[in-house]
Amino acid sequence: MSSVGAWIQRYLLQLVLLLVVLGAMYALNPQFHVESSIERLIPLGVIAAGLAVTLIAGEFDLSVASMAAFSGAVAVALSGMGLLVSVIIAILAGILLGMLQGWAIAKLGISSVVFTIGTLILIRGLTWLVCGGLSIRVEDITATDLFRGQLLFLSPLSITALVIIVGLGIFLSRTRWGRELYALGGARQEAIAAGVSHKRGMIIAFGISGGCSAVGGSLVSAMGGSAAPAALEIMLVTALSAVLVGGISLAGGRGTMVNVFLGFSIIAILSAGLAASGSKAFVSVLFVGLLLLVVVLLDYSLRLFSERERRNKIRKLAVTAA
Amino acid sequence: MTIIEKTEALTFQDRAGSRRATKMIRDWALPILILMVFLVASVSVPEFYKFETIRAILLATSIIGIIAVGMTAITLSGNLFSLGVSASAVFSGVIYIWVGHSTGSMYIAALAAIAAAVVLGIVQGFIVGLGLNAVIVTLAAGSIIYGVTAIMTKGEVVQAESASLEGFATFQLFGIPLPIYIFILFTALAWFLTEHTLIGRNVHLLGSNRHTARNSGISTMGTTIWAFTAFSLGIGIAGVLQASQMHQIQADNLSGLTMDVVAAVLVGGTAVAGGDGSPIKSAIGALFIATITQVMVLLGIDQGPRYFVLGVVVVVLVIVLHLLRKAGAR
Repeated sequence: MSSVGAWIQRYLLQLVLLLVVLGAMYALNPQFHVESSIERLIPLGVIAAGLAVTLIAGEFDLSVASMAAFSGAVAVALSGMGLLVSVIIAILAGILLGMLQGWAIAKLGISSVVFTIGTLILIRGLTWLVCGGLSIRVEDITATDLFRGQLLFLSPLSITALVIIVGLGIFLSRTRWGRELYALGGARQEAIAAGVSHKRGMIIAFGISGGCSAVGGSLVSAMGGSAAPAALEIMLVTALSAVLVGGISLAGGRGTMVNVFLGFSIIAILSAGLAASGSKAFVSVLFVGLLLLVVVLLDYSLRLFSERERRNKIRKLAVTAA
Repeated sequence: MTIIEKTEALTFQDRAGSRRATKMIRDWALPILILMVFLVASVSVPEFYKFETIRAILLATSIIGIIAVGMTAITLSGNLFSLGVSASAVFSGVIYIWVGHSTGSMYIAALAAIAAAVVLGIVQGFIVGLGLNAVIVTLAAGSIIYGVTAIMTKGEVVQAESASLEGFATFQLFGIPLPIYIFILFTALAWFLTEHTLIGRNVHLLGSNRHTARNSGISTMGTTIWAFTAFSLGIGIAGVLQASQMHQIQADNLSGLTMDVVAAVLVGGTAVAGGDGSPIKSAIGALFIATITQVMVLLGIDQGPRYFVLGVVVVVLVIVLHLLRKAGAR
């Protein structure tokens, strides 16, 4: 019982935010159906989960949106081999590219923000190359039915997303390699001194984020049956908002997949609700940006507050000791 | 004993020598690279040395360059870069056209547009100055500004109906358009401010060692706000020039601008960790990017491969500059 209490306390801010957003959307539009409108946004959750893993490891992968667009383009370009096969190839390409990024970051000792802003441009260029500068479509449009079916009440899409998020959650909290990512993110020097491999950590973290972006991007393309060279650019802000709103720390080493799930739900309900009430897409961009800014500021003031508390406590101890 | 001292002195000198060598490579690599691109282009593209081509390159450089020069202040101050360039530039472009319509004067309109950009920049600078991550703040601010611009214009194209607003783009002196003069002037001003004034030195110091700078009495907040002011000044000017060049603007325009500007700063060789770099380097970076883009256009290369080549060049240069800097610091 107490563990449930602790769990609720831990995610209190996000749970309250979720209820507020849900309430606001129902007030705005009483006919709003959560389930049907979120479906469309599920790839976002997968991409956010990958981004969260790099943040937990104390790094920052800015290339997620480009990676998603790239694998989407690959999945469509190779769809002659069968859509399922091409999607798997696209995902493998994403994982490989991600691992390569992680290896380069560890090998060069370069800041991941600098490196991934470079690869953001490079992978976007690759996407243009794969698409040939134009929107491309799947030749046999019936092939996309495979990704639109229903299994019980869940679509293949939401099953994939759930499996990935739960799998990542278990990997991060129950395996050695996963826990090493927390160590690298929370206290890099100490972790390396204790024998955690920095290179392996980076390869795993960026491999996961590349793979997750690839899953998200190729699923979007496979469902829609098309890919465009400039697609999904908005995914970086949206995924970042989802992750930070969910409560993953920018400082690294803190946060779980539950955070990602809650953050994704908040952002998804917000955008789906705004879209359902007839707002244009840019209105939801505005709100996502606002929410991101508010959460970052809130996180900052909370940190400031707890730091001050801690200092006061130490001061009091020092006074009583003297 | 004396022998040991001698070897130590020698190695120190050796190291100083190699440090000077890597610094020289770092400083001169890009100008030489641009020269090489020019040489290759003049051989392979017959039209290259025409006045129009050079003018087109410089014109493309000026918009990217003015913003990149401004952004150098942010990078130098240790706040990485801004990812909200496109939205702010479009916003000030919209303000330019709107105010131009209601007042009929392009000078008042330009002032209003630049002022709007500076206000937005100061607000972002204040938030970053509190100690928040600049990349995330500017990313969030970029989507907010984009959303507000789109709502203000209802997502439609804002058209400049009278020709009076084109003045800034069409005015020429000795056959060279005004934006190029503005770019050179802005770069010179930014260079003077960063190298020869107190604010510039504070920006440098804050970027190279935040804690030391703070302990020696430099205000993080004030300096960060100055850096963002310089940056948004560049955005405002570029927004005005862009709007008067295109006669129209829409919220979705200029989507590639952010990446071009960041690429220019990165390629120019300003250290992203802060403290080391100069506006002139970023100006050269912008020239480089505009040059290779223009050369590829003249060679008839499609947009797809063009983006790809740009990406490869950026990543390779980022890695090489990083390795050189590491070798120089040893």
